[in-house]
Amino acid sequence: MEKNWDVIIIGGGPAGLAAAIYCGRALRKTLVLEKKVFGGQIINADIIENYPGFAEPIVPAELMDQMVKQTGRYGVILENDEVSSLEWEKGFWQVALYQQTVAAKAIVYAAGSVHRFLGVSGEKELLGRGISVCATCDAPFFLRRKVAVLGGGDTALSEALHLAKFASEVVLIHRRGQFRAEKILQDRVFKNEKIKIIWDSEVLSFKGDQKLEGIELRNKINGTLEIVGFDGAFLAIGTIPNTELLKNIVKLDENGYVITDISLSTDAKGLFVAGEVIKGNRRQVAISVGMGVQAALSCEEYLASLD
Amino acid sequence: MAEIISANDMNFEGFIKNNRMIIVDFWAPTCMPCRLMEPGLEKIAASHQESVKVLKVNVNDCPKTSSRFFVHTLPTLLFIKDGQVKTQIVGAVNPNQIEKTLIEVS
Repeated sequence: MEKNWDVIIIGGGPAGLAAAIYCGRALRKTLVLEKKVFGGQIINADIIENYPGFAEPIVPAELMDQMVKQTGRYGVILENDEVSSLEWEKGFWQVALYQQTVAAKAIVYAAGSVHRFLGVSGEKELLGRGISVCATCDAPFFLRRKVAVLGGGDTALSEALHLAKFASEVVLIHRRGQFRAEKILQDRVFKNEKIKIIWDSEVLSFKGDQKLEGIELRNKINGTLEIVGFDGAFLAIGTIPNTELLKNIVKLDENGYVITDISLSTDAKGLFVAGEVIKGNRRQVAISVGMGVQAALSCEEYLASLD
Repeated sequence: MAEIISANDMNFEGFIKNNRMIIVDFWAPTCMPCRLMEPGLEKIAASHQESVKVLKVNVNDCPKTSSRFFVHTLPTLLFIKDGQVKTQIVGAVNPNQIEKTLIEVS
């Protein structure tokens, strides 16, 4: 891998790839680094129905594959590698990787987020043994079984709808009395006979020895405790931003999100952000793509000022 | 160029007996991250064609093999050397991570 770049984009999800297309078209020597697989978390979803420009539902993995190929048209280099540190030194951002350090005049940080876990008893032990974070990945293991989905947002409801194609019964467990998901998803959930809802309840623990057998719940209204039997539990309770590398560089809020404005620039010179690392993001592919574009344009303005 | 071989409940044992080092990719058609991992696995199969056999097992069609290795989440990669499971990777990973793990277990 070459050492010096105009722009290094950290994160190969929708925000990072959109930024890459624009940086590439600005004829900047651009490297995109992704520690997992290119595409971001959206590849875990079974379909996308709300990405403008597609009349029919699209498969996220195919959409992201197209974005990857699109970056290739503009000479952008994509590499799988993990960034271990990010430092400003002698006018360049030094990006330490697994086996080498690369440098760039500017960074677009679009490292996305990771699944949030509840941190309750039994969760860690039973992860992969009935507890899952990806319905499209693991639904086949729950054919004609009873599963729970925890959460009340778009991801939770989409996962419940997907699981209903496999499981005998799907129970959505939500800590509030109403969902915040898109109304169209709520409508489908309410009409699906396989999906039941437990409102206003929080998970106290996961029960099971070698595999998940039940979930201990507490009703937040009347305090009732109960253990409900389940074969599977899918967590869709939000995410945590991947901003560990930024914590000594830019100002983060109490949850680790970057605080920025419409320019998506930061207090750090030549460092721009996009996607799910930003405070107030709504976890939509279209928004992440838009942010990637905005960050790339701000980045280009910065680079032009150095030329 | 070496290809990834589709294995099933009937022929899986034969692959174990006849190959020193095997990577098994447990997948399902509905698993999107599994699809994105495939090019990386093809790369590994090609670059290690002399020493490593890369198998893919569709969990929907191969319940016996999936249960045998307690596969409950996808994608799961098993690294089997001399018939023994050396390690596994759960979740989507890139070719570099597979390569790194391969070096560790070889």
